[in-house]
Amino acid sequence: MKLQELSPADALKSLVTTTDGLDEAEAKKRLDEFGPNQIKEVGKKSLLLRFLAEFTHFLAILLLTGAGLAFASEYFKPGEGMLALGLAIVFVIFINAVFTFTQEYKAERALNALKEMLPFMVKAVRGGKRLDIEAKVLVPGDVIIIEEGDKIPADSRVIECSILKVNNSALTGESEPVLRNAEPSRAESLESPNVLFAGTNVVSGSGRAVVYATGMRTEFGRIAHLTASVESGPSPLQREIVKVTRIVAFIAVVMGAVFFVIGMYMGRTMWENYLFAIGIIVANVPEGLLPTVTLALAMGSRRMAERKALIKTLTSVETLGCVTVICTDKTGTLTQNKMTVKSIWPVASHTNELMKAAYLCNNARYENGVYKGDSTETALLSFARSNIGKLSVRRISEIPFDSERKRMTTVNEIDGQKFSFSKGAVEGILSSCGSLIVNGVENPMDADKRAMVLAEAVKMMDGGERVLGFACKKLPAADEAIEEGMIFAGLIGIEDPPRPEVSDALKRCTDAGIRVIMITGDASATATAIAKEIGMIDGEAVVVEGSQFRDMSDDDARKILVQKNLIFSRMTPKSKMRVVQLLGGLGEVVAVTGDGVNDAPALKKADIGIAMGIAGTDVAKEAADMILLDDNFATIVNAVEEGRAVYENIRKFISYIFSSNIPEVIPYLGYVLLNIPLPLTIMQILAIDLGTDMVPALALGAERPTKDLMKNAPRSKKERLLNFSLLSRAYLFLGPLEAVAGMYAFFMVLSAGGWVWNQPIAPNNPIYMQATTACLTAIVICQVGNVFACRSFKETLFTIGFFTNKLIFIGIAVELLIQVFIVYHPIGNKLFSTYPISGMVWLSLLPFGMLMIIAEEARKAFVRRFASGLLTR
Amino acid sequence: MYECVLSAVNERLNSEIAARYAMRFALSAGARLCLAYTVEKDTPRDVVIKAEESMGRILIEAKRLDIEVKSISVIGEIEKLMTSIVKDEEVDIVFASTRRAGVGRKIFKGSASIRLMESTPCAFALVGVVHAGRIHPGNILVPLKARMNSIDERAYFTAKIATAFNSKVVLFHSPKPFKRFFTGEVQLSHHELKEKSPKDIKEFLRQLQHYGVKPADRHVPGRSSKTIAEEAFAGSHDLIIMGASERGFFKSVVRGNPIEELLVKTPCNIIIHRPGRKR
Repeated sequence: MKLQELSPADALKSLVTTTDGLDEAEAKKRLDEFGPNQIKEVGKKSLLLRFLAEFTHFLAILLLTGAGLAFASEYFKPGEGMLALGLAIVFVIFINAVFTFTQEYKAERALNALKEMLPFMVKAVRGGKRLDIEAKVLVPGDVIIIEEGDKIPADSRVIECSILKVNNSALTGESEPVLRNAEPSRAESLESPNVLFAGTNVVSGSGRAVVYATGMRTEFGRIAHLTASVESGPSPLQREIVKVTRIVAFIAVVMGAVFFVIGMYMGRTMWENYLFAIGIIVANVPEGLLPTVTLALAMGSRRMAERKALIKTLTSVETLGCVTVICTDKTGTLTQNKMTVKSIWPVASHTNELMKAAYLCNNARYENGVYKGDSTETALLSFARSNIGKLSVRRISEIPFDSERKRMTTVNEIDGQKFSFSKGAVEGILSSCGSLIVNGVENPMDADKRAMVLAEAVKMMDGGERVLGFACKKLPAADEAIEEGMIFAGLIGIEDPPRPEVSDALKRCTDAGIRVIMITGDASATATAIAKEIGMIDGEAVVVEGSQFRDMSDDDARKILVQKNLIFSRMTPKSKMRVVQLLGGLGEVVAVTGDGVNDAPALKKADIGIAMGIAGTDVAKEAADMILLDDNFATIVNAVEEGRAVYENIRKFISYIFSSNIPEVIPYLGYVLLNIPLPLTIMQILAIDLGTDMVPALALGAERPTKDLMKNAPRSKKERLLNFSLLSRAYLFLGPLEAVAGMYAFFMVLSAGGWVWNQPIAPNNPIYMQATTACLTAIVICQVGNVFACRSFKETLFTIGFFTNKLIFIGIAVELLIQVFIVYHPIGNKLFSTYPISGMVWLSLLPFGMLMIIAEEARKAFVRRFASGLLTR
Repeated sequence: MYECVLSAVNERLNSEIAARYAMRFALSAGARLCLAYTVEKDTPRDVVIKAEESMGRILIEAKRLDIEVKSISVIGEIEKLMTSIVKDEEVDIVFASTRRAGVGRKIFKGSASIRLMESTPCAFALVGVVHAGRIHPGNILVPLKARMNSIDERAYFTAKIATAFNSKVVLFHSPKPFKRFFTGEVQLSHHELKEKSPKDIKEFLRQLQHYGVKPADRHVPGRSSKTIAEEAFAGSHDLIIMGASERGFFKSVVRGNPIEELLVKTPCNIIIHRPGRKR
């Protein structure tokens, strides 16, 4: 038994209070016990701790160790440039931390938006006296007084009221005000007509209620807690980045250690090996990866905004590309949210009582040429007005619509005669009718006629219409029974037409292997008809009503959730979160749409929470990862396409960034194994990773989606960002070509300067410095060719178009400018231990850049011809 | 298993609510009910009256439900008196409510109800009341640990509370997230988590079924106090039944105490059950 099931007297008794409320002493005691009636922040890590955590992950610790070793080296052997290296590594860690932190940090504004929905002061009865008290000191057992316009401060049981109507949309999503009463009810608390909920509003009437839950224990507190605390966990991309960094870090450390030992064995000094180990680690770690990924996501989010999808969490850009299930609302997302009358029955009823009932049993208004009010009512008023013109009639009384009766009735005076008009669910209206009008003739209502009306209603519902029954009655002066013995006036079917672009968007989802599940508050027949009309279902629909779903065990619900053609009808927003949780447990990547306050937890829990930009509440928008600026389902599909493109592009620039690791590592291997002078210094490696490579990599992030991107199934969770084909292409194909170029440049300059094998050379010898500069330049020139090579995995450059991504050319220009600065500017020379080289050296290296493009085109041609599917991703 | 249930009553609403749980539990278990009001010297008269009124209401309700009920009012220090009542009346389980003032403390040892739980020589059900409106719990959340003692007694207690209110039961296990060095946290499906469920939990489930309760089960990896609270909020549960913490002082200081944390966060009432000790 719950409080709503008790009579008002028993409810008061159960809370050990009376209609006079609690006395102040008892209220104080209860305040101590139950705490203040406030929405509290959910304890989370402080911003500082969250920022500091960015310095404690595996890659950061590795780099910090490297920096520590560099500083130690500077201490023991000053003047060898290790200080600069240490500082550079610290700078890299700091930049990575800032980028990741800003990416993950999201202000909890949703909670603030929720707090604003609660009142500051309330009217309460304490010790028999009416008082204005702060809402935060309300306790269970307090009796509150509520009037029109008030915000409800806490969950309460109504003990007396007069035509009390509240708007529960914050909790139920239903915008229509609902009537409250004090009678016991066996309905669930959210549907119970004797319960008032914190955060909702009194639309009309007045009453008294006893508080039974306060603060975070209210339904509103439940939403607040879930909105603030629920997390969807790291995004697929974040998980992949963790894996990539760990794998790379592992390779770097193992290589560093192994070659340190080899170096010792070959008789190099401890210092040389030490320098070498640091170098190999720095060369292997892609220092610029995290900032580049973040910037690529930012660019993706900008492109999505241009397509009316506003991204709030950067990682969501890529997560969209992995979405396997979209749970979508119907009204306003799949449909236009423009209710219009589609059909009436009987057909020839345009000027009779049916139109009068539609006009007069209606609370919509026509003001200054605009219909105002609930969308269903405005559709009815507009239809009736267009058929019978304006009516000047006095309304005497109204029995408002309520969810239990599922009908509303008005009493109107027409030409001095009273009439009652009712509208509502067909079965309910029929039960109050004693006759019906067919072809203008009144006939008694019998079982056959009732069956005929119901069959007609079902037919209309099967066509996707929301069907309402109408009845009227002429009232003799003293007649009290205004809803008995009425005349059935007819049926009106209202439709919310589908958005024209939705069918195509759904087809794209099917092609892309994405399942779409409709979650709607509408009736099953209406939802199914719309789903069929827009092509959402292929075959028999699996329709689950909200009440069925609520009673279902998790195991049964999981069995339902894997089925195709799934529609949830008559669902409350509360059940959405369960759908999202269960789908997540089944390994799906879920996008869910929502607009109401009560949708906020589901929006937070989903991998991608999508709020409606037009119809959405502030709370929903704050809780979401993405806002649809046009509330249109097709926009979600466009965003998914962009998300997939972003992932493809991230893979492209990872290929690009990783290719340069090999020419950075090979010089160190040569240094240890062949006893040659070091061809590339650590600072020069950093110049590539954090300087010249960055802008071209970003340009790769702006590549357009390829044509067949939405023809493939969503990426499997098992598919790795760094897979064998990507690594082999970078490390075994493109990288070695660059390494050859670098080593060629190094030895070419050394030989030209008179160096002979095994001859020692000082680090500050201009010939040596020119040689390392040439090696660096060779890698940069190869990377210029590589940026073109990495624009696709298998399509030829001639198919995708040489000039289709203008950012590539800007990237190359910036890359070359940085290189010119490093080679020719004194500051560049000092920072990177470089020395100006002649133009002839540049010219002699250009063929290597061309070779990168030609070799890659040959590989792609081979893949297209002989190994389609293999080595392509 | 439980033949006599003792409920400590005082002037506060939460103790009356705790006594109602005790009363329904006694009915379900076919046990006698003892209501005890221990009052300290110099307690103001109005406080005593309120406590007596509260006891009166429970007595009437218990008699209406045909429960064998007895009330005891004694003056003195609560811990000593309760111990002696437990011995004299051969009490098998004590129900007492905890105070909000006690649950916010870091180490939690200072609360009177915890001292009472520690000193009582029989089973103990500490009731945290945060929601006065959910009189009869429709949905009960039962968080479980991987390793439990007195599984049979815990299952019996849970089953009797569930049958007392005809409630649905959800068993909840929050294992440590499964991690690998190279791949980080591995996301397991519900079925994989269910298969990995510890044997004590499987045994608890079996015992519960033996007592006629068919629970649902949920497995959510993560930090238990957070995941339990999140589940309680999301699933709109009316009551949480948990085993008492067996975490020692140092472990509580270092890693926190999930029960303390949950008592602060819980959206619904909570019963912390400590199985009986051999008398």
